Amino acid sequence: MTGPLAARLREKRIAVCVGSGGVGKTTLAAALALGRALEGGKVLVCTIDPARRLANALGLATLGNVETRVPEAALRAAGLEAKGELYAMMLDVKRTWDDLVARHAPDLERRERIYRNRLYQQLSSALAGSQEYMAMEKLYELATERDYDLIVLDTPPTAHALDFLDAPDRVLDFLGNETARTLLAPAMSAGKMGLRLFHLGGTYIAKTIARFTGAEVLSDLAEFMASFQGMYEGFKARAGVVRALFAQAEVGFVLVSSASPRSVDEALFFFERLRKEAMPVAGVVANRVTTKLWGEEPLPLAPALAAALAAHGAGGEELAERLARTLAEHEVLARADDRQVARLFSAVPGAQVAVPRLDTDVHDLASLARLAAVL
Amino acid sequence: MPGLALLDRRLLVVTGKGGVGKSSISAALALLAARRGQRVLVCEVNAHERVAPMLGALPSGAEIREVLPRLFTVNVQPREAMREYGIMTLRFKTLYDAVFENRVSRYFLRAIPSLAELVMLGKILYEARVEERGRHRWDLVVLDAPATGHALQLLRVPAALLDTVPPGPLRRDAQWMQELLVDPAQTSVSIVTLPEEMPVNEAIELDQALRGQLRMPRGALIVNAVAERRFSPAEAERLSALEGEPPPLGPAAAAGRVQALRAEQAAEQLARARAAIDLPALAVPLLARAAWDAGAVEAIATALERQL
Repeated sequence: MTGPLAARLREKRIAVCVGSGGVGKTTLAAALALGRALEGGKVLVCTIDPARRLANALGLATLGNVETRVPEAALRAAGLEAKGELYAMMLDVKRTWDDLVARHAPDLERRERIYRNRLYQQLSSALAGSQEYMAMEKLYELATERDYDLIVLDTPPTAHALDFLDAPDRVLDFLGNETARTLLAPAMSAGKMGLRLFHLGGTYIAKTIARFTGAEVLSDLAEFMASFQGMYEGFKARAGVVRALFAQAEVGFVLVSSASPRSVDEALFFFERLRKEAMPVAGVVANRVTTKLWGEEPLPLAPALAAALAAHGAGGEELAERLARTLAEHEVLARADDRQVARLFSAVPGAQVAVPRLDTDVHDLASLARLAAVL
Repeated sequence: MPGLALLDRRLLVVTGKGGVGKSSISAALALLAARRGQRVLVCEVNAHERVAPMLGALPSGAEIREVLPRLFTVNVQPREAMREYGIMTLRFKTLYDAVFENRVSRYFLRAIPSLAELVMLGKILYEARVEERGRHRWDLVVLDAPATGHALQLLRVPAALLDTVPPGPLRRDAQWMQELLVDPAQTSVSIVTLPEEMPVNEAIELDQALRGQLRMPRGALIVNAVAERRFSPAEAERLSALEGEPPPLGPAAAAGRVQALRAEQAAEQLARARAAIDLPALAVPLLARAAWDAGAVEAIATALERQL
């Protein structure tokens, strides 16, 4: 019922789907999870995508921060008999941050102080790497505290593939930045009350930045840094553990690409990075490929092709002409795709799957199951 | 005449799901405007610059460059935008260099929420409003915006800052930016989608966000890569019976059936998008091209021009 990638993932507990935006990561993540659940096993697919695509594909109205089981009735209605269980959830970045803060804050007062900070309130959406970091954090929590046989993580639609792996470092650099500490130290020791610009050390740099942003923005930052004092080490240790999880053999990265040169570039870039960091790659998917219908030899010119088609009983001359044009156009697209898929597959070892542009859009459980069968 | 009005605004924002062809559509719209004699600037905010290379030119990077007659492009990056904004605010380049061109600047660029988005958007909107010798520097600024989620985040920044930031230089900038973004005389947002289930879903959500929380004036819905109806249902049915035939008939029948299916799906999704989104819908045909180059942009522009 399933293909080489699913076979590879049978040895894994965690599958991480990565790739540029618009390549169908979310759908593939859902299909991989569904495929495994049909075979037997307790499976969770976790997305971070706010566009609710995963819920759509699974036939659920919405997804939340808690795991929701895809009802057996829904599977049966789609003609599917699942030996296992399928769960889905959508990551709430802000709540995951809150949980993390609660975990590290020494007391309630400190926790509340951080929650109230205006800068913190925007942190979850505004800080680069924040979403990706929280996705890793949540995955770690699910992997260590739950008993899923397989968790499939659909990563955020990053503008750049590297954002994902660099996320913890970027966030930690923000929280523990030495330059900022030095600059903001006088303000931080002054505490929240009576914080004024002169507490920023009165330094030239601080004054100039304040002129640029307004002094209160800077005080918010100082207050935030002050609240975080003493928590940084805990954060750093936790991030180290979380990041280490991704290098373990029970994890398999799945590179997802379309056949467009841009997304193949991104996938190859990501693959190089994973290899350098010795992170386990389970396989690669070239998604929505237009497959060749004609052999290696060049297609005859349109008039000759049309004549041959008419001679072989395609119908009238006019229909033969339309068919000839259609096949020629198809082959232009298919050959372009073929070159890109070859480029991708020659570089990335492991399970390789080219998913043909399916006859229907993948948007429900039945079509997801058909997709799962080729993975 | 919806399209003509599109090109008559000062600022045209183009967004949609990842991979739907926002950059090619932005390039094609800019090409049409430039051909009409307008001075056009296309602003990208991409890690990998796309518009200039697609038009056969070298990447412009952070410098505005003319890639075709009257058609200029720039790829706005946070660090350069921050620098320009900083120099403008501080007035003196040397002062900026002394204070900002170091680790501190990089830190604050990330530390202050949305500052990166604000300076990037600020740079783009500044280009849309700046005047030289009594007339606007650009007749049209096209923002090739990021994919849905990131685009909403970018466009929401001025309003969010107005909610949270106390009076000061930041707030003053957020104020004029917000006024420009919601002014229907100057701005319109167009949504690009593919005639497929998920992209259409996302287009509908995007449209709701534009009308609801962002309150931005909307332009057109542009449906890319629409397969034309080329075979009748009866023909399509006959073709699927012929797929097993030896070449050339089998492959041709298979190609025909695939085309017919794509056309049917496209018509279905186009109808769904039209029903859910009350905007003029422009359809760009599915193009059989091996590469997204100047020829492809040209073909898209030709298709769009007919519907303007």
